[in-house]
Amino acid sequence: MNNKLLSGIGVVALVIAIFYFYWWNINTSSNKNYQDLTKQLKVSHIIHNPDKKLLSFSLVDHNNNKFDNNNFKGKWTLLSFIYTHCPDICPTGLMDMSILKSTLIKRDVNIVPSLVAITFDPARDTPSVLKTYVTHFDKDFLGVSGDQVQINQLIRPFGTYYERVIYAKNGKSTVLKNDEPLPKDALESGYLINHTAWIYLLSPDGQIFAGFPAPHNPIKMADDIELFIKNY
Amino acid sequence: MFNKKKKLILALTTLTILSVSTAMERHHTNHTTTEIVINNPWVRSAPPNAPALGLFMQINNNTDHDIKLLSANASGYKRIELHRSVVQGDMMKMVKQEFMPIPAKGKLHLKPGSWHIMLINPESVPRKGDTVIIDLIFDNGLSKTVHAQVRKGKKMTGNHHRMMH
Repeated sequence: MNNKLLSGIGVVALVIAIFYFYWWNINTSSNKNYQDLTKQLKVSHIIHNPDKKLLSFSLVDHNNNKFDNNNFKGKWTLLSFIYTHCPDICPTGLMDMSILKSTLIKRDVNIVPSLVAITFDPARDTPSVLKTYVTHFDKDFLGVSGDQVQINQLIRPFGTYYERVIYAKNGKSTVLKNDEPLPKDALESGYLINHTAWIYLLSPDGQIFAGFPAPHNPIKMADDIELFIKNY
Repeated sequence: MFNKKKKLILALTTLTILSVSTAMERHHTNHTTTEIVINNPWVRSAPPNAPALGLFMQINNNTDHDIKLLSANASGYKRIELHRSVVQGDMMKMVKQEFMPIPAKGKLHLKPGSWHIMLINPESVPRKGDTVIIDLIFDNGLSKTVHAQVRKGKKMTGNHHRMMH
């Protein structure tokens, strides 16, 4: 009787031990490799977090097709958030992404990443506006527009944020947070957008993998991405 | 025969006088405008529907006093503004400027990620290789006409130290 009780406790303890061992192993193994990589990285930050998945979203690409979570799956994607009234930062970022793509194609890993640019500013950047704009930088670019609220939700896990700036005739500026509505005449008078300017890498599971802060160096970014893909 | 020779000499003399005076005039113009020297003006080539273009250059001030660039004018744009991209934490800010300061015996470099002139709502977006003609108005009463070439912003091997810290 006593023996039975003891062996029962033993089995339960063993099961718990095995469970913890696996749990610990799963948790560390998926992060551990990438933690080790961190030391070797030149210009990127690993954002990969198995516990934080992208929320489901549904937007519209520049050919008026649906663009949702599935569009990120099964391939590596380079993504940035832009607006077409941006004269300086966004064109630089889009050009860098195109250079990065052609650099990666020539590397050992030999991948052709998808190039995606999602607008902060769907009120002005309709799908057709985006199509003409982004394909100027690379014919393979896909511009994405859609519902402002969905875009605001989507950018959050990336750590991306923006604010609109309206200049009055007297030179005074008003800053609007992203969820504040635009005044009626803002579309006519124009506004600028202050924003973060990272480029992101999404892995074939459709999740955020890494981020690259500006200013961008496409050659060093390609070095890091090669490392990611070899260790993925 | 003799008459012909005389005519030829007269023509040659006239030509010489003309060319000398043109050269003098040119020299004169050069002299007055070296107070401000513009180097390497260029417009970044942009998509055919781009609502805003960036104009960059280096402005050299050879005078003994600070000067300000007050405005830029060109036909074919809804507005032209002076801007500066600044980094604040993670945020890239586009800040409209009242003027651009060019220090005495110094220079101001307008470049991507920094000071730039913003050409807003072009009637038609200039193509790569085109020239954009623009007048710069300075606070010392001088103005400069600049011929800026439209070209791609960056070479594959270009350096990337263009952001301010």
